[in-house]
Amino acid sequence: MNRTELKILIAAALISILGILSIYSSTYCKEGVIWSAIYKRQIIWTALGIAVYLFISRVNYRKFWDLTYVLYALALLLLFIVFISGVVRLGAQRWIRLAWFNFQPSEIVKLVMVIFLARYFSRKSADDMSLKVNRYGMFRALILPFIFVAVPTFFIIEQPDLGSGVIVICIFMAMLFLANVKFKYIAFFLALSILVLPVGWGMLRDYQKERLLVFLNPGIDPLGAGYTIIQSKIAVGSGGIFGKGWLAGTQSQLHFLPESHTDFIFAVFAEERGVLGVLVLLSLYFFLIQQALSIASRTSDTFGKLLASGIGLVLTIQVFINVAMNMGMAPVVGLPLPLMSYGGSSVLVTYIALGMLVNINKHRAVF
Amino acid sequence: MRIKLVGLICIFVFLFLVSGLFSLGVIHHGKYKELSEKNCIRLIPQPGSRGKILSSEGDCIADNSLTYDIMLIPQETDLLRRSLKSLAAILNIDLKEINARFKAGYISPSMPVTIMKNVNSKKAIAVEESKAGINGVVIQPAPLRTYPYGSTAAHVIGYLAEIDHWRLTKLADYGYKTKDKVGFGGIEEKYDYYLQQEDGGLSVEVDRRGKVVRVIGFKPPQSGKDIQLTIELKLQRLVEEVLGGRNGCVVIMNPYSGGILAMANGLDFDPGVFLDTSSRDEVKRIVTDKNALLLNRSIKGLYPPGSIFKCIVAAAALESGKLTPATTFVCQGSLVVGNNEFACWGKHGEEDLIQAIAHSCDVYFYKTGLLIGPQAIHDYSEKFGLAKPTTIELPYEAGGFIPSPLWKRLSRFKSWFDGDTANMAIGQGDVLVTPLQMVRMMAVFANQGKLVRPFIVKAIDGQDVSNYHRGSIELPFKKSTIDVVRRGLRAVVTDPEGTAGMLAALSVPVAGKTGTAEVAGKLSHGWFVGFFPFQTPRFVICVFLENGGSGQAATGLAKEIIEKMAKENMI
Repeated sequence: MNRTELKILIAAALISILGILSIYSSTYCKEGVIWSAIYKRQIIWTALGIAVYLFISRVNYRKFWDLTYVLYALALLLLFIVFISGVVRLGAQRWIRLAWFNFQPSEIVKLVMVIFLARYFSRKSADDMSLKVNRYGMFRALILPFIFVAVPTFFIIEQPDLGSGVIVICIFMAMLFLANVKFKYIAFFLALSILVLPVGWGMLRDYQKERLLVFLNPGIDPLGAGYTIIQSKIAVGSGGIFGKGWLAGTQSQLHFLPESHTDFIFAVFAEERGVLGVLVLLSLYFFLIQQALSIASRTSDTFGKLLASGIGLVLTIQVFINVAMNMGMAPVVGLPLPLMSYGGSSVLVTYIALGMLVNINKHRAVF
Repeated sequence: MRIKLVGLICIFVFLFLVSGLFSLGVIHHGKYKELSEKNCIRLIPQPGSRGKILSSEGDCIADNSLTYDIMLIPQETDLLRRSLKSLAAILNIDLKEINARFKAGYISPSMPVTIMKNVNSKKAIAVEESKAGINGVVIQPAPLRTYPYGSTAAHVIGYLAEIDHWRLTKLADYGYKTKDKVGFGGIEEKYDYYLQQEDGGLSVEVDRRGKVVRVIGFKPPQSGKDIQLTIELKLQRLVEEVLGGRNGCVVIMNPYSGGILAMANGLDFDPGVFLDTSSRDEVKRIVTDKNALLLNRSIKGLYPPGSIFKCIVAAAALESGKLTPATTFVCQGSLVVGNNEFACWGKHGEEDLIQAIAHSCDVYFYKTGLLIGPQAIHDYSEKFGLAKPTTIELPYEAGGFIPSPLWKRLSRFKSWFDGDTANMAIGQGDVLVTPLQMVRMMAVFANQGKLVRPFIVKAIDGQDVSNYHRGSIELPFKKSTIDVVRRGLRAVVTDPEGTAGMLAALSVPVAGKTGTAEVAGKLSHGWFVGFFPFQTPRFVICVFLENGGSGQAATGLAKEIIEKMAKENMI
């Protein structure tokens, strides 16, 4: 186990521990066996995640290059299964029920999209080993990969899981940027997206529209859609500098904060640990992201480079959207905070991604 | 190249998050902390109950019953109109009325508006059950003052109402607040400080559904102290029954202790209506009635005593030695004093003091008055406790007035004439007394020479306080003086032509004096003041009828009262 592997493991494990403590706290006052089992499950998932991390970090990441299409097909298949026979839960069909847990394919899709795009943009010309992307025209640089991204995105948004859908689109744009796709194409894509926005708006479900409107003005429906955002802001704001202390956050303990163990775990943490605690947490995330980016910049292999920086960016985007959402600075979209939020799929996938990072770091000298 | 840019973007993203965090957690921390507390901390007031007012036997004359107030917090209800509408349906009030009440009671978004007071528990439960559909509704238990016997002893008890501006300025230093219920008149006002409950409350932490999670603090409500009166409820009710709706009052007192056994006013009111919002019209009627229904005539009414005053003149004359029981004057139906002819109500011929008292001969007392002079009458009146309040524990007691030559010169710039003396000697002119003062004066003859201090509070919070009120003054009168007047008072009843002859037939030997006080332009006031049983007096009674015609009417009522008391074995 080299130093980078250990550093990343420690940072990730610390976040996981903070997450488990917060989950324990947020379900502490809820009655019922299910609730008391939540944090135990998260411990199991974390342990599993760490095991997978240690395993993946020893699997050559080039294997994912070979498996890209298999993974892509698998992801599409899972999404399709959810689409056909998803388990109805919380009004959303996002899970596939497996033996003793529910699996959320959209989490995997995020990582698969990074792998897929990394491979797509790192193909080299057979003649001079230069990257093909530099010579791509509009179709091959933008439209073709977008079609590959759009298919799973459609299924995800249709689940409906707007948050993950948005994340995948963000991943696409980030990968375009990282892959040195010409700025004018990216600009074109952005412009097109803005043009399509009204159409997209029309396709949104009512509650999704409501959430977006509420983000602009939480006051329009303080007891309905605006409730969560108001309660979450109160939780973060009332924590102050030092926080209210573990198990003493009134917003979460007294159930004013909905979804407190999943999407709004950050608010629980902020309420109980205060600004100082959050600074520690954000530093840990920042550390992980910096590790990813520095691995990317140290790697000479383009696939590895794109994969590492893509993983870093996925983390950044998820942390940003989730934390901003918890502080009322972004609309409420169902999106977990990596490693903190309760949810096996998210935890596993994040550890897999981190394991891949470590492996890229190990093999960077090979090429 | 682009990776470095991404690194920079990451730094900006995190700085953005951190600045957002500072904005919430540091800059606006106070605001969110308050919001968080408001979210989960509720104050549940627990009103204490006001002290009871008990009769001498221990029956509650003023009690409390549990009711509820329905309130609406404007800011916590998003659909005000709908909330009001559903409340109107449950509480059975007109929608217009409920809107008007809301508008009238609205102060600020956070202050609860009382929609309906004194709702019984059945309706309160109905509201509670539908609370899920109505936002911002608060149901607060509120003990309600009740008067189980209605208007019984209403003037002694007083009533409760929301504190007025004058009382608030007076009582603010003692912790009274706007909207507090305070006593108006009677014991409720005088002993408000003792009766007043101290409201407690729970400060609790509630969860999202408003369910109480834990109690943060608790201050137990403190009930007010009970006050026991010397009033005997049975006697009080008997007296009120006899008095009916007549404009007048009856006071019955223990001649030795000064404890008031009954104090009734014929024109009374139900103290309960002042707390009932639905009876505003009734309150208006009570307050504006031209017969002054709220006036406790026994202590606040000032009237000329008429012939009752002759007891004092007789005692003064006997004490001064200028008159003996054997002294006789001739009554020829009138007497010329100065330039005026003063009439007697009859033509009594030659009479001694006892006869003169028995027949209430005016001429005899004109002459007696002139014999001893106005200053002596004035001084002896004061010895009998006139011209100043008796210090009974009821608020706003009047003092009365006894004229004197000096007063007339100083305030009217006129000389005192013999005519004034004659008038004064028969309790007319400027002499003003309260019925209670007359009872107290009569008690001196009943108890052989002691001027008692009337009192009405027997015990506070179970502690006997009647001793504190005892401060009877031994009047330095000769025993013979008292005896002679007593004999005269007895003769009033026993003499075949005595003015209270109708009382002779009673099984109880009664002594007393009638009075008919003339009032310019109106019917005379009727008085009867006496005590019984004659040998060992246990009751002093004053029956007063305002503009009741004559002393005969008052004597008739006294007879009825004593008869019934005898029948009920109360004597």
